[in-house]
Amino acid sequence: MKNILSQMLLPQFHKFYIAAIILTLIFLPLLGLSQYVLRIMIMIGIYAMLAMGLNMLTGYTGQVSLGHAAFYAIGAYVSALLATTLQLNFFIAMLAGVVVAAISSLLLALTTLRLTGTYLSIATLGYGEIIRMILLNWEPVTNGPLGVRNIPRPSFLGYELTLANNGIYYLMLVLLGIISLLCYLIINSKIGRAFIAIKEDELAAQFMGIKTTGYKVLAFVISASIAGAAGSFYAHMIRYIDPNTFTFDTSILMLSIVILGGMGTFRGMYVGAAILIAFPEALRFLAAYRFVVYGLILVLMMRFRPQGLLGWRSSNPYRLSKQVSEMLAQEGNREITLKPFEGKEEAVKG
Amino acid sequence: MIVQQIFNGLALGMSYALIAVGYSLVFGILRLINFSHGSVYAFGAHMVLMFVSMNLGLIPAIFLSILLTGLLGMLIDKTALQPLRKKKSIPIAGLITTIGISYIIQNMLMILFGSERKPFPALFDKGMINILSVQISSTQVFMMVVSILLLAIMTFVINKTKIGLAMRALSQNVKAAHLMGINVNFVVIFTFFLGGASAAIAGTLISGYYQIVYPTMGFVAGLKAFSAAVLGGIGVLHGAVIGGLIVGVSESLAAAFLGGTYRDAVSFIVLIIVLVLKPDGLFGKKGIMKV
Amino acid sequence: MVKKMKKIISYLLIATLVMVSLIGCAGTAGSKAESVVKIAVAGPLTGDNSEYGIGFKNAVELMVEEWNERGGVLGKTIQVVVYDDKNSGEEAAAIAEKIVGDSDIVGVIGHFASGVSMVASPTYQENKMIEISPTASHPDYSSEGDYIFRNNSVISAEAEIGLDIAINNLGRTNIGILSIKTDWGSSTAGITKDLILANDKLNLVAQEEIIEGSDDYSAAVTKFVNAGADVIIVAGMYNTLAPFAKQYKQVNPDIALVGFSNAYSYQLIELGGEAVEGVTFPISFFSGSTDPEIQSYVQRYIEKYGSAPSALTSQAYDSAGILLQAIENAGTTDREKIKEELYRINYKGVTGDTFFNAIGDAQKTYVRATVKNGAFVKVE
Repeated sequence: MKNILSQMLLPQFHKFYIAAIILTLIFLPLLGLSQYVLRIMIMIGIYAMLAMGLNMLTGYTGQVSLGHAAFYAIGAYVSALLATTLQLNFFIAMLAGVVVAAISSLLLALTTLRLTGTYLSIATLGYGEIIRMILLNWEPVTNGPLGVRNIPRPSFLGYELTLANNGIYYLMLVLLGIISLLCYLIINSKIGRAFIAIKEDELAAQFMGIKTTGYKVLAFVISASIAGAAGSFYAHMIRYIDPNTFTFDTSILMLSIVILGGMGTFRGMYVGAAILIAFPEALRFLAAYRFVVYGLILVLMMRFRPQGLLGWRSSNPYRLSKQVSEMLAQEGNREITLKPFEGKEEAVKG
Repeated sequence: MIVQQIFNGLALGMSYALIAVGYSLVFGILRLINFSHGSVYAFGAHMVLMFVSMNLGLIPAIFLSILLTGLLGMLIDKTALQPLRKKKSIPIAGLITTIGISYIIQNMLMILFGSERKPFPALFDKGMINILSVQISSTQVFMMVVSILLLAIMTFVINKTKIGLAMRALSQNVKAAHLMGINVNFVVIFTFFLGGASAAIAGTLISGYYQIVYPTMGFVAGLKAFSAAVLGGIGVLHGAVIGGLIVGVSESLAAAFLGGTYRDAVSFIVLIIVLVLKPDGLFGKKGIMKV
Repeated sequence: MVKKMKKIISYLLIATLVMVSLIGCAGTAGSKAESVVKIAVAGPLTGDNSEYGIGFKNAVELMVEEWNERGGVLGKTIQVVVYDDKNSGEEAAAIAEKIVGDSDIVGVIGHFASGVSMVASPTYQENKMIEISPTASHPDYSSEGDYIFRNNSVISAEAEIGLDIAINNLGRTNIGILSIKTDWGSSTAGITKDLILANDKLNLVAQEEIIEGSDDYSAAVTKFVNAGADVIIVAGMYNTLAPFAKQYKQVNPDIALVGFSNAYSYQLIELGGEAVEGVTFPISFFSGSTDPEIQSYVQRYIEKYGSAPSALTSQAYDSAGILLQAIENAGTTDREKIKEELYRINYKGVTGDTFFNAIGDAQKTYVRATVKNGAFVKVE
């Protein structure tokens, strides 16, 4: 019995699990779930995207942002304003939201280049608050405290996507899929390896010839773009936004998801978002304590499991490029030992 | 009017300075940004309120609160931060932990005391004082005197006492201090006690001035005090006071010339500018940022 | 092996957590019981604005209790279902879905903030669910649809009376406006400003905005004093008005202050003490009224919850009353019929006579109240 169970977790079965989960997600709405459950699923999806974005910066590159709600807000506002004033299609508006979020993160990253660690985190916190003040005060554009209303729903080839026809749900799945795939490709590229090197030891990375500054800025931009995309989707889903959604609490919720799920993992983002978004709904008696719970998660995870719930040693073999494995094979003509990928276990180490 | 606005700013800045001292104290020793300081400050004010409602009288209530809040500071270090130091976690783990703690304290206060603003007994209210067409309230003057006194006591403790010597040793090199026979954990816990106690004093004075307490009072004030501490050179006590005054005055002038809704933004802009241009702050020693 | 087991256990644990969460969300849809009529209350029961949401819940429960004592509505027992929106749009949207999914619910009393209400209201409108917000004040809120109502004062009517108080009751003409930067505060300040500018007898000397939650008003006070204001119209809740009054009166004890009904709460006096003496505002609910209906309401409220109801709480109380009355008038729980009744209703409640105009805004009559010797009294 034990053997069967452990057999089931072997890496070669992972693909089946992933396929099974994706299929379940695709067919979920057909089970006749209520719109309420679907909405929760969509919120989980949005926060999984946000966490995925923050993970690129915090989980992989080791830079903690406490102001990510700012990029979420910029994506939401730019996209919503373009869609309401210029009647732009959702996808174009979203692209614009992503671009503006990316540019603003570039500006932040370039001005704070010299900062490291805690100082950087505090600067991002201040940035988040400044963006919120701009949203509140720049009334001619953002409409100030009145917010933006009547944001059109996304439409695809003239077909309006709503909650009732499950269009919004599938759009969320597609976006989440695209973002996951992009992150996966980035992390498994040269860029991703540079990110991880910076997190593990910035000085050593520099000695290895990695231009750490450039890569840190890049991590910022990627991370903010994803948050911008999530914000844009959120705005068109919820159809009314005001500055109150994009507070420090939102930034902390994102960070809690990343830390609970496991910095530098993918699966952790989905699971972390699912747990933290669904638990106040499921455990109503705990609802009043939800921020206490978020706080406890941060404290306890840091103390007992800094690598996150799902942040154990990944059993995926570290994939060497074809060239390298061929070279090694020629050299010793021996089996390449499949060494597990080291970076993931010790997400936070001394 | 501008002179009056500057004086308004100085009074406001004094309240930031009071909170900022606590940030500086802990940072000076541990190189840790104690994000929970703002909520500890709110905790201190609520404790005074609770003891007052138990009819203990104002002065004993204040002292009990200072003691209790100091103990809370010690508890935070003992339960959450000491294990991190033992494990040699990265500094950011400490920041995240203290953010978590600040959420726990702030929301527990909200659950226990309610979210609304509650009246707080006025301290030393003797009306306004007029100096050359500038009006200052007597409470503000009182606040200023207590802050300076507090600062003097803290400076004395750090510079002239044995434990202060240990604190300074720790801030330079923890390992070496340990080898010299200094009980590191005790010194750190003592620092946290001082930090908590100073937060309670700040909470009492500021709440006494505005005559209001509420659980989230420490969030924005804490952030601004933190800006002040960074501006003055975090880890430098007198820097925290000067930083507080500068942040207060710039906020007050922003409110006067740009409008009241810009004041919060201004203190964060000051924070970012200082971080970017001079991370060591006005009075900071070089080399605080370690690679 | 041990590691593997640990891993398996973790997986199982997480799977259970997620399952439990999802099942919890799905909840039990509830069997359709014919003998009950459900009313939903949605507001912030936890978090920063919980005082208001709890007020909603208390008020609606009190009203329902009274109806149930009289035998319910249409011979059915009334049940209150309470939802905590945490004053967050995301939450409100999910709650709205939950509410419209329960076909026993005939109407919603809520939500608290306009922004939150407006995220939820499209869902209500689409599903023909009646929403009566006791507090939403965004100018566009009630135009969201014909099922969307509010039992809150319309700003322009209230602002006019506020100005009239400044001129006629207090005899001042150099006016300053202080407003909080929220949808309500900004709209109120804008409307008040236009009214002042349209009246050449009046003089707008200064206008200031503040972020809700900042406790230091010295910069604004200095500006008002320098501009020579002799009366300030404060568009803020009690938690702005009280500390502002305190700080202003330290500098200029002669200043007159005019508030809005949103600030009408016993906490104003508790927080402001002597400083709020003489603060005057237009209100539609007056707890010291001699009207026996209001007296018994205030009595019952204090008995049950230990404190006097505020204006906003009383608006929630009346909102529930209006909804129940409309159900009775319609003689059915068909929401479309009840909606029609709502446009016809003329409800005599504790916040005055209420009827809705074509877009669903409540029209109210106001009395004037002032603080005298630590209590609210009516201005004759």
